[in-house]
Amino acid sequence: MALFLQILSYGVINGALYGLVALGLSLVFGVMNYLNVAHGALIMLASYAVFWACYYLKFDPFVSMILVAPTFFVIGWILFQGLFQRILRFEEGEKIKNSLLISFGILLIFSNAATMLWTADERAVTTDYTGKVIELLGVRIPYIGIASVVLAIIVIVAVHFFLTRTYFGKAIRAVSQDNEAAGWMGINTKMVCLVSFALGVALATFPGVVIALQTFNPIVSFDLTNKALIVLVLAGVGSLKGVLFGGLLLGAVEAVSVFLVGSAYREVVGLLLFVFVLMFRPQGLGGRKS
Amino acid sequence: MKRALIALGILLLVIIVPLVVQNEYLFNLMILICLYSILAHSWNVLGGFCGQISLGHATFFGAGALTFRYLWLSGVSYYVALPAGALSALILASIIGFPSFKMKGHYFAIGTLALAMILLHTVQNLLPGVSFITQECLDQYNLLTIYYLALGVGVATMLAVWALSRSKIGLAMVSIRDDEDAAEAIGINTFKYKVISMSISTLIAGFAGGIFAFYCGTYYYYVPFELGWSFDPLLIAFIGGAGTVVGPVVGAVVFVLLKELFATHLGQVNVLIFGIVFIIVVLFLPKGMVGVVTLFRRSKKTR
Repeated sequence: MALFLQILSYGVINGALYGLVALGLSLVFGVMNYLNVAHGALIMLASYAVFWACYYLKFDPFVSMILVAPTFFVIGWILFQGLFQRILRFEEGEKIKNSLLISFGILLIFSNAATMLWTADERAVTTDYTGKVIELLGVRIPYIGIASVVLAIIVIVAVHFFLTRTYFGKAIRAVSQDNEAAGWMGINTKMVCLVSFALGVALATFPGVVIALQTFNPIVSFDLTNKALIVLVLAGVGSLKGVLFGGLLLGAVEAVSVFLVGSAYREVVGLLLFVFVLMFRPQGLGGRKS
Repeated sequence: MKRALIALGILLLVIIVPLVVQNEYLFNLMILICLYSILAHSWNVLGGFCGQISLGHATFFGAGALTFRYLWLSGVSYYVALPAGALSALILASIIGFPSFKMKGHYFAIGTLALAMILLHTVQNLLPGVSFITQECLDQYNLLTIYYLALGVGVATMLAVWALSRSKIGLAMVSIRDDEDAAEAIGINTFKYKVISMSISTLIAGFAGGIFAFYCGTYYYYVPFELGWSFDPLLIAFIGGAGTVVGPVVGAVVFVLLKELFATHLGQVNVLIFGIVFIIVVLFLPKGMVGVVTLFRRSKKTR
């Protein structure tokens, strides 16, 4: 029982991370139907940014977010202006396909560039609290795990409030519901798309911090994109509220599968779940049929 | 007519060159070019003609390689093992591939990626070891044989794709690519043609896998299932010209040569360059390098 609880606690911690990983992807997909599979590579780059900020500037990883998040906002801005705005006017199916292909190219470029620049070595940020745990009912929970769960909840709630309570957030939601009608109401839809894309990229910072505290290398970007896509589908496409739920579900399923069949098939179970949901409930577990 | 002569000339050249120039390095390059053009053509049939973008062709490539290796090492001669490998890829496709057409559009792409990753992890777990050639089989290992085998399969593939592109089936596939709903509306059984397209595609991928397993001496069992074998054909076909007959071959030549050029000091930089070119192609040149040539030719004619 204690072992099961221990494994489940890791499931929750991983699940919160998966939710964070999928957040930016889900925002971008919801607003403008871009399937940005480069998101995993952006998270990987964010991890490196955090790593270097901690290494050279002696920042705490969580403090370094102040520096990294604006940088990634700018990166997102540049990516959108340089590449993604060109396909903004395409019809929906073409838009998804082309954004998938473009971001796939970016994924390859970033992960290969990172391998060339910083080698494929595993890296990790070590802090004073790395490896420290608290015991709770016989379950050992690492400080970093608690911090990442708290971070996930704060970020996801903050994004939710931004979208529902602020003027600009409401504009973003209007565009995601009906791009054209939002334009007629006097919303600068291109600006909204630009900002939400940059925001989506900036959201890569938060999972980047959590991953920098574990171990990472350039190859991790494929795995992260993969996780983000699984959560996106579990949550119901474009549903931000579902992201935390989807992440936790994936984390829990993985944890249970580790308990039942061993860690070798952890990835496979998540992927199988993904394929079945794609086939039989493409609108997501929580989503309604349109 | 002129084109057929050029094609025949090139074919004669690539047949004769290895007999005249006994250079192992050249053999290796040409085998790789054949391998990548076959694989790219396999992707092209499904992605270029039928518009179903697969990110998981390594599944079928790997299945072909696995079957070929197993049969070959257990004493079956390679010319039997090669089609058997291709057949195994087709069987795998009928188990996991055809149901994946339930996923439409972009879901198909990420769904096939997920399938490829499932298979990669499973093979990694079940067969963690290294596959090496036994002594008896080593006697059969001869670069020239492999080269002619790869060339034969490559030429056959290209002819098949050429015939396909001029057939009614090919037209149906193109119509699905251009607008699936419209194709259905004019009475094309889209599911049927998607299945045909995937069958041809996976058969070719299985052949490519067999050639890999024949050519590569020692490798980990999971290597032909790696994601690179899904991504490379997509890049090659797109850059060469997706939905064309020569495109994937041109792409493969450039890909392999770039890879060789940088392999000695910069490792994977060819993927980096290809990634950049790929984005440019997606944004501006939907017919790839072949498209540039035809554009150029047309503008010359009109002048």
